Amino acid sequence: MGNYLIRRLLQTVIVIFGVTLLTFFSLHLAGDPTLLYVSERASDAEIAETRAKLGFDKPLSRQYIDFVTNAARGDFGNSLRTRTPAFDLVMERLPATIELTLFAMFVAIVFAVPIGILAAMNRGTALDGGVMLFAMFGQSMPSFWLGIMLILIVGLRLGWLPISGHVPVLQPLFEGHFMVAFENIPGAINHLILPGVTLATFSLARNARLIRSSMLEVLSQDYITTAKAKGLRTWTVVGRHAFRNALIPFITIVGLEFGFLLSGVVVIETVFSWPGVGRLVFNSINQRDIPVVQSAVIFFSLLFVLLNLLVDLVYTTLDPRIRLS
Amino acid sequence: MHYLARRNWLVVCALIALLALMAGCAAPTASDTSSETSAPTDGETSADSSDATRLIIAQTVDLEGLEPSEVNSRAESNVFAHMYGTLYEITDSGAIEPYLAQAYQVSEDGTEYTFTLNEGLTCHDGEPLTAEDVVYTFQRAADPENGFTGNTAGFVLDALGYADARVDGDLDATIVINAYSPIALGLISEVYIHCKDYYESVSLEDAAQNPVGSGPYKFVEWVKDDYTLLEKWDEFTLRDATYDELEWRVIPEASTRTAELIAGNVDIITNVPPDQHTAINNSDAATVAGVAGTRRMYVGFNQRDIFDDTEGGLAIKDPAVRVALQYAVDVPTICQTLLAFDCERASSMVNPPNDNPNLEPYPYDPEMAEQLLDEAGYPRGDDGVRFDITFQAGRGRYLNDEAVVLAIGQYLTDVGVNTNVEILDWSSEFVPALRQHDVGPLYFVGTGGSTWSAVYDMADLSEPTGATNYTEWQNPEWFSRWAQLSETQDADGQKALVDEMLEIFYNDPPWLLLYFQPDFYGVSDGVDWTPRRDEQINVVPAKPIN
Amino acid sequence: MANSASLSTTDDAVYVTDREIRLSPPWWRKAARSLAAAKWPILAIVILLSLMLLAVFAEPLAPADPNRQNLIRRLQPPLTQNEDGGMEYWLGSDGLGRDVLSRLIYGARISILVGVMAVVVGGILGTFLGVIAGYAGGRTDDIIMRIADIQLAFPFILLAIMVLVVLGAGVLNLVLVLGVGQWVTYARIARGETIAQKQKDFVDSARSIGVGHRRLVLRTIMPNILAPIIVIASFNVASVILSEASLSFLGLGVPPTIPTWGGMLAESRDQLLGGYWWLAVFPGVAIMLTVLSLNILGDWMRDFLDPRLRGR
Repeated sequence: MGNYLIRRLLQTVIVIFGVTLLTFFSLHLAGDPTLLYVSERASDAEIAETRAKLGFDKPLSRQYIDFVTNAARGDFGNSLRTRTPAFDLVMERLPATIELTLFAMFVAIVFAVPIGILAAMNRGTALDGGVMLFAMFGQSMPSFWLGIMLILIVGLRLGWLPISGHVPVLQPLFEGHFMVAFENIPGAINHLILPGVTLATFSLARNARLIRSSMLEVLSQDYITTAKAKGLRTWTVVGRHAFRNALIPFITIVGLEFGFLLSGVVVIETVFSWPGVGRLVFNSINQRDIPVVQSAVIFFSLLFVLLNLLVDLVYTTLDPRIRLS
Repeated sequence: MHYLARRNWLVVCALIALLALMAGCAAPTASDTSSETSAPTDGETSADSSDATRLIIAQTVDLEGLEPSEVNSRAESNVFAHMYGTLYEITDSGAIEPYLAQAYQVSEDGTEYTFTLNEGLTCHDGEPLTAEDVVYTFQRAADPENGFTGNTAGFVLDALGYADARVDGDLDATIVINAYSPIALGLISEVYIHCKDYYESVSLEDAAQNPVGSGPYKFVEWVKDDYTLLEKWDEFTLRDATYDELEWRVIPEASTRTAELIAGNVDIITNVPPDQHTAINNSDAATVAGVAGTRRMYVGFNQRDIFDDTEGGLAIKDPAVRVALQYAVDVPTICQTLLAFDCERASSMVNPPNDNPNLEPYPYDPEMAEQLLDEAGYPRGDDGVRFDITFQAGRGRYLNDEAVVLAIGQYLTDVGVNTNVEILDWSSEFVPALRQHDVGPLYFVGTGGSTWSAVYDMADLSEPTGATNYTEWQNPEWFSRWAQLSETQDADGQKALVDEMLEIFYNDPPWLLLYFQPDFYGVSDGVDWTPRRDEQINVVPAKPIN
Repeated sequence: MANSASLSTTDDAVYVTDREIRLSPPWWRKAARSLAAAKWPILAIVILLSLMLLAVFAEPLAPADPNRQNLIRRLQPPLTQNEDGGMEYWLGSDGLGRDVLSRLIYGARISILVGVMAVVVGGILGTFLGVIAGYAGGRTDDIIMRIADIQLAFPFILLAIMVLVVLGAGVLNLVLVLGVGQWVTYARIARGETIAQKQKDFVDSARSIGVGHRRLVLRTIMPNILAPIIVIASFNVASVILSEASLSFLGLGVPPTIPTWGGMLAESRDQLLGGYWWLAVFPGVAIMLTVLSLNILGDWMRDFLDPRLRGR
């Protein structure tokens, strides 16, 4: 166990190192961003001065080494645009993105399980067909389109839910304002529903399909048949035996799911004017704000890798047959 | 069982560690100014203007910082103009009127402007606002140590020829410039005055997060990418603002902005796409208010030698070709269809009514264009093509820009100039190329103009090697008159020179003249507010309608 | 699909591969029961074939030049007739007066091309690296799988945005980015299958009688991994088409002079509020039909092509 953890952590270090390398060089391939950070009327001397100040005059290898050594100490440099620490900019927007992603994950998983089980239990019926059809449609809509449609229909026409905007919960929580955080929860959920559902739709559809086929597989196994033959009630069988085993393949994707939903937030945050990291990173890439992009990418890669490590650990507790090796 | 339990424990630890990591990272960023996290508008109830005297304005982009000397965008200057006062103020009609200063005097040679401040002004932290603060504002903006590149340092001081500033009395401050400039007062009116004691005591980083203003509204809170909240500062008596609070929201997606407006959750939105006008006007919640803006939209003919190896680059060096192409584009139709606006085509780079009234805008006459191109020595080839040319534009910067650019490409192609339209990313591709004068040979851009001065509008082309002379147009007649212009101080003489220069521009056009960009705002029916022509949002005079 | 999904096709497929393929019973038979008609995959094939025909024969089939503008006739609804009573716009005109039907037909070309090519790029690259990793083992395997981990850990959309912003948006770059974004999926299948095959007796005996490595891989290993890869590929074509739409939304799709379904959908977003439904509905339906067909076909193929599943 200990060895396994050490090896996984070592791998994590290698992966993060690779991510820094990839980020750094793909951003610098675009050339020197200095021109974006001088005034329109700047002279050549002023440009050169700014370039030196930003450190872009050094050889690329040198810049990379500087960046890695600083990053290892937790210093990701200042944003070129706002001149404030890049990591702080990411962290300020992180709670909003985490809220959105967790909510979407919740929707994608919590709703998928009963839907999938119901479909599996009623295999071949109209209900099953309907679920499969929903799953197919859910997997064939571009999210920006679905988002705008939901805004226009649910938000504007029906007026059921807020159209855009964000009510913070995690932010006051981190700042220690527990009362504020709890007060905000109803409003926050209200504001989360449209963007969250938009973000989750694809995953929800996919997960429902997965749970369904996974359940069908388990239900056809001998031990289930035996359990049924022993006279156990269907729902007992499903709850006690089938579900637990059907969950195993599902758990593995939870870790991937997080990274997967994070990828979607750029579009969702733009459509719903959600003040999260996705928009920050997208704008920063366009503005060549290299330190901000780097901090965000490294942070998310780290989060992703650790989460997957966690998932692997959970996985083994659920299925003792699997040995960590 | 034992084994399993131990593993469970490990999992719990890992989970806690992960959460701690997230929490730990997020915690120190808490800004200490905003002790309360106030929720933005409640989306459920429509914010009819009577329920609170909060005015909510939705813009497309967020601020980058709150540093008054570092204005990077129109979104920022809109917020800043409510937080800070300026010495003089440019009104809707283009007049320049006293604001923080009650009067000014100019020295004989036009190089020293002495402003007399109103009495009893204070900044938002209570510090009296005196001549010392005015001088500090200018010196701080100009200090290369601070490395400012925004509007004040990067444009205003440079265009002004700023030399120095000095205190001439408790309320008298003098701004010294290198040479007489006909646009000095207007430029000075773009500088946001801030107080010395506070700004001297904080670092640039802190200043950009916690501004202390000098205008009618006081800073409350900035939630990045979400909103900026200002509250009325009652001690400011120079202007009579109605709303108690201003909330500047950021909503990047046009459909979302419009939906929020129609739903009654915001009061004013910017940049309404033309195809959403009907939806807004047909709702019983809001109306579209359009104004003839001052931004000059044009297609530049980049005449640099770098394009000499292309047919098109070579062709547009010929003034006859540049004139011919003016006839090829149906500007009024573009305005009507793509911009939902009846526009008159620009006849020069100067906004009416400061332009030369004798110049007729080029009409849409494709046959004339073809005839002139034939005469210029560019007949159609066997494939119907006269020459190929590349036409570049940035994406998403101007009203319906992609459609306008594609339409212009079609018009040019129709007269035999095979136009290859390239849409580039605005900030990372187009702007750098534009600044290095590498863009084109045809490019689409709009430069901000003014309601108050022809010379301000012409300043883009003030010197043959100037940074903003993107086309590197070299007409000696034009540039020699520019020198005369700075020597002529009487208004009539200036006007005569301007008219002459605009005629030169008209006959040897470095630009394919298009239109002055209209600006469309969506305004809630509960708010009485009229937009200005110069893209500046001023909601101080806005009032609720009951 | 949500663009979240589409933009990290890898994750989707990884999961499909690792679990669903091996575990799920034949969809075909269930589909026959649950959807009450076994005709769906046939319908899917018919739809896909006709779309491909549209793409190939766009020139003769399209009623107009897809880029020909007519500002005066912009935003005309479907079934608009011209003065002579002939049909001017079957499916309406867009914001520049271009014919929506013609753009759809030409759009099929680019959308399908991008989808298929990206999958081919990703499939070949991934299969190649996966087979090498599985066959060589040891250090080589470690390096390739670490690279795969890096790719997975890197939020794909950020990589796509970065590369497209740096290289510029264009059909070729889009194909490369979307292709490279998926190689891990294929690599994992190929690697696992290669390792499994390598341990079999006949591989040992083949090697002992002097069969070369290349021949061994091509003859014994490849046929076994082709089936799952084709299945995954059919799902991935669908997700790539959606990714293209999302990238268009962010302004990183193909240039506006090249019509694509995703691009049309993205262009129409400011007009949705104005009631110009045809601008969004037709390209939306085209995407949905294609993605739906590909998913149905993929499910069916998973059943039919994967020998391990056939007997169940």
